[in-house]
Amino acid sequence: MLSISNCHIHTDNGRIELPDITLKSGELLVLTGPSGMGKSTFLHWILGDKITHADISGDIALNDIPLNGLNIEQRRIGLLMQDVHLFPHLNVIDNICFALPYSLTGSNGKKLHKSQRRKVAINMLDNIDMGYVAQHYPDQLSGGERSRVGLIRALANQPKALLMDEPFAALDPKTGALVSQWAYNQLQERGVPSIMVSHDIKNIPPQAQHLDLATYYHSTK
Amino acid sequence: MATKIRRLTLSAGWLVVALVAGLPLFGVIVGLWPSVPISEADVARFFAYNGLTYSITNTLFISLAAPLLALYVAFMVYSQYRFNPRWQTLEKRLAPLLSLPHLAVALGLVYLFSSGGMVFNALWGLFGQTAPDWLGLPRKSLLTMVLAISIKEVPFFLLILSALGRQLAIKDWLLQGKALGYTEGASWWLLVFPIMLKQSRLALLAAMAYSLSVLDISLLVGPNIPQLYAVVLYNWQTGFNAYEQANAFLGNLMLLIMLGLLIVSIYGHEWFTINRLRINAVMANPFKIARLSRLFTAWLGFFSLLTVAILITFLLWSFGWNTQSTISTANWSFSLWQDEWFFMQGPLLHSLNIAFFSSLLGVAVTLLALELQQQTNRKLPDYVWLMAILLPQLSMVYGWQVTHTGLSGSYSTGWIILSHLPFTFAYSYLVLRGPFQSLNQHYELVAASFGYTYWQRWWRVRFMLLRPALLSALAIAFSVSVAQYIPTLMIGAGRVTTITTEAVAIASGNEQSITAVYILVQAALPFIAFLIASILAQRIRGSFDAEHQ
Amino acid sequence: MMWLTSKSLRFLSNVKYSNPLAALVVLMAVAILALLPNVNAQPLPDTPTVQLESSPQWQQTLADAKGETVYFYAWGGSKPINDYLRWAAREIASRYNVRLRHVKVADISEAVSRLKAEDGSKSAIDLLWVNGENFSYLKEQRLLLGKLWSSIPNSALLATQKLPLKNDFGVPIEGFEVPWGVGQFNIIADEGLLGESEQNTVTSSIILAAAKQNPGRISYPRPPEFHGTTFLKQLLVDLSNKDKRLYSAATSQAQDDLLPLLWDYLDQLHPLSWQKGNAFPSSNTEQLSLFQQKQFVLAVSFNPNEMAKEKNEKRIPTTSQRLYFAQGAITNSHNLAIPKAAQNSAGAKVVINFLLSELAQKQKLNGSWGDPSVITPLLDEASTLPAQQELHSSWQQVIEDKWQQKYGA
Repeated sequence: MLSISNCHIHTDNGRIELPDITLKSGELLVLTGPSGMGKSTFLHWILGDKITHADISGDIALNDIPLNGLNIEQRRIGLLMQDVHLFPHLNVIDNICFALPYSLTGSNGKKLHKSQRRKVAINMLDNIDMGYVAQHYPDQLSGGERSRVGLIRALANQPKALLMDEPFAALDPKTGALVSQWAYNQLQERGVPSIMVSHDIKNIPPQAQHLDLATYYHSTK
Repeated sequence: MATKIRRLTLSAGWLVVALVAGLPLFGVIVGLWPSVPISEADVARFFAYNGLTYSITNTLFISLAAPLLALYVAFMVYSQYRFNPRWQTLEKRLAPLLSLPHLAVALGLVYLFSSGGMVFNALWGLFGQTAPDWLGLPRKSLLTMVLAISIKEVPFFLLILSALGRQLAIKDWLLQGKALGYTEGASWWLLVFPIMLKQSRLALLAAMAYSLSVLDISLLVGPNIPQLYAVVLYNWQTGFNAYEQANAFLGNLMLLIMLGLLIVSIYGHEWFTINRLRINAVMANPFKIARLSRLFTAWLGFFSLLTVAILITFLLWSFGWNTQSTISTANWSFSLWQDEWFFMQGPLLHSLNIAFFSSLLGVAVTLLALELQQQTNRKLPDYVWLMAILLPQLSMVYGWQVTHTGLSGSYSTGWIILSHLPFTFAYSYLVLRGPFQSLNQHYELVAASFGYTYWQRWWRVRFMLLRPALLSALAIAFSVSVAQYIPTLMIGAGRVTTITTEAVAIASGNEQSITAVYILVQAALPFIAFLIASILAQRIRGSFDAEHQ
Repeated sequence: MMWLTSKSLRFLSNVKYSNPLAALVVLMAVAILALLPNVNAQPLPDTPTVQLESSPQWQQTLADAKGETVYFYAWGGSKPINDYLRWAAREIASRYNVRLRHVKVADISEAVSRLKAEDGSKSAIDLLWVNGENFSYLKEQRLLLGKLWSSIPNSALLATQKLPLKNDFGVPIEGFEVPWGVGQFNIIADEGLLGESEQNTVTSSIILAAAKQNPGRISYPRPPEFHGTTFLKQLLVDLSNKDKRLYSAATSQAQDDLLPLLWDYLDQLHPLSWQKGNAFPSSNTEQLSLFQQKQFVLAVSFNPNEMAKEKNEKRIPTTSQRLYFAQGAITNSHNLAIPKAAQNSAGAKVVINFLLSELAQKQKLNGSWGDPSVITPLLDEASTLPAQQELHSSWQQVIEDKWQQKYGA
């Protein structure tokens, strides 16, 4: 469960007082609003990244554990951006392996070795019928493939929550709709609470909560 | 008609590029051609030379260890500074750090830190004692040599990494890595290093080729039982009897073999390291060793201190201070500067003039070479372009000299600029290749959609985005040209003296005070070039800023 | 800032000199110089020098030389020497209307290599400072101009009776080069290091004793650097009690008899020397620099006046001593040669003639360089060290090769 409370965003032009947000496992929140209002900045704040363009305060808790004092790598929150940032020097499997938790153990309780970890990654790809890209390098993938591999990689990390910054905006509408529907199903199946920034107000999935930042915006200029 | 013109320009372009890239090969073939017939007995005697094996292995060790050490240190420094306010300071200070010549660093290092060196003497002197002999760097050893070279190469690699970093989405990769639960240090190593290592291949190769054949540093701090290979080879090359000439010929062949070995080991090291890191990535290893990088937060401070210490030492020497004197008894005087300044003005102007034109031409031909490869979609291997750095310089320039006298060429600045061109070309190719080839083509695509023609796009988008890298390339090419001794002397025949022909000759005498004067003035030229480049670069928004607004 | 302005002016005039616009300046200079011989004309004793100087041949050389620029390739690593050549250039320009340009090289082999590349065609070198192996190679390749002694008047002043000036490292000079100065092998050492000997002489055993007392502070330039090789030669002469076979070709019998003396000695010396004999200074200049930095207790030199010069500059303690080997200091000349294909050989001869003049030799001896004179009028026997003959040239290669075999790796 991801909860955000007492959150204030101060930008150069205005200020936003967010209502408290609570996302149970598998729930999705879609965040919309005009450009420059600080949507992406808000995501980076949740992630734990350094914020430069705004001043954000508030409390974040994941499964009732407060996150405020923790840095990015301790928070275990996944991130999926529009440019998926698959690492160009690793092929698809190794990109996924990179995301698999270090402590991943097999059925016997022992840590997995290299080939076993690769097998886990291939299984994940096979599950979404993408085994055929396993050996490809990122520059050999199409846009849709890249987005899907990106999501699988993010999920492979077993994040406690997932943040998405217009992840499917680069895809053509048809592919975009297909991939996003597929993505929601994946997230729901795995019970990961997620927040997605989007411009596409028309295509908000029915099962998602929706928050329009503009509603809470007060201009200071 | 238009296609005909295009074809003509293309082939003319190839010709220019082939000349600049091919001159070194030509020089070596002419210069190496054995003046004496080589017999089997010569070969046997060559291999029987006492200490040859050690000499070769020691030299190979230095040539491998020093550049690699420098690269690793530079990477760790880069990772500690890049996304930190400290980066600004580092970028500002890179200019003075880059411009100290190798010889100055080596001289300063042994003078200050060798056993019995100034630093330890001064420290122990505070307590009225003499420093123990075992303390400090040995004056001549593998370790000292590796340190002297690698310390000096770190800023060079920083410059290369900084140029590379402008083209890579490092910040996003790091963020992604951290979001997946890795520390920042681990993300640098697992995600950024493999890519940077591959792209620094040429720079590594250049540094290795330099270490392989450097003479003055080898003589000063290299071990000499046995002597390093560059020294052995130089002795053969400058001994003119038949047996030494035969050895010189075989020795140069051996040098090429050693170079081949270094190339193989660059690939070997790359393959091994990337594989190891890949396994760590696959295993999601937290890679705790990456914490080591944090040590290098202090690098800028240390290195600046060292540079300042060396500069002060040289200034003191140039004002007449020496080991015999205390502050009060030294005969302080500016007379050396006054005496020499009059004789330095001409050489300084020549240096500036030659370096200015040869660096400009070198960068221009580099752009031509890169553009031609891009247009024809034919990428020639890097070694073709870097011949000037890779091939043995003495034989190469000797070949040019033979041709130059054969053509009854004049001993003018024009010929000297031509003789510097292959070197400025090679170094600017080294700096520019990465940025040029990894430039995001979408910008030009956007420009095309606005109706700009190819060359308009090239100039207004590609060239403008490349400006920061072009400035680095110009500054490096400029300092490379300033540092040329052998081509300037051998082609210019002493008609055109530069600050370097003077400085190298002076330094051969080991007279501290006058050597200091010349080295300081010699270092001033690249310093100015790097300074101008860095000031301009800070005002220009290049491809990095375009990618990461 | 006076020095700057006045010197800048001179600099500017130098630049103009090579400029076609300055034809007028040159003309005027020539006119003034044309008057000079009359002003200086004095009755002189009828010495061989004067005879040669008044010969039509020399007058022709002087005439040919006018306006020439002589490119003089010489080692540029020493400020006193560079300063001396700057002085000489000014004198020569005003006396003979010849411009002397010192082409500074780090190693004279760079000039030899150029002559080799030119292969006898028009040379860029008019004059070079050379001796030893380089001379021997150039002479053998017939790249040098001969008959210098007979065509340069002041060669008659050379002190051939007192100094070994007819051979260069065992190779007969035969007029292919002209001695310019002499080197005498000596040792500069800390006070009292090598005993209280009144004669200032030293022997191999004294050096060994000093090494025992100052472990790690004695070394010598690494052969084949010729100061190092000469040090070994001096030791060998001492250890073999000046065996006569050292002065003739090195037969294998002589090598077997004599060299072990040297190796036994070095086997004792090296463990006591700098870095336990695992490293040596690369050159005499580096050794001197380490002596200045108090790392060494002695340094070797070929210039008998080096110590005085160093003391003057306060670079070494004023108590340092100059010593030489008891059997005499190995004495060698360093010389001037003209390439056969030189473009300005007349000018080069005029330069050599000036450099052998009393004025120039005196300046060389008494100025900051302190290089001993080679001409009879200035021969100062008091400051000249007792000389000893150079070994036969074959020993050089033998010693260097064997040393490399035994200690080089």
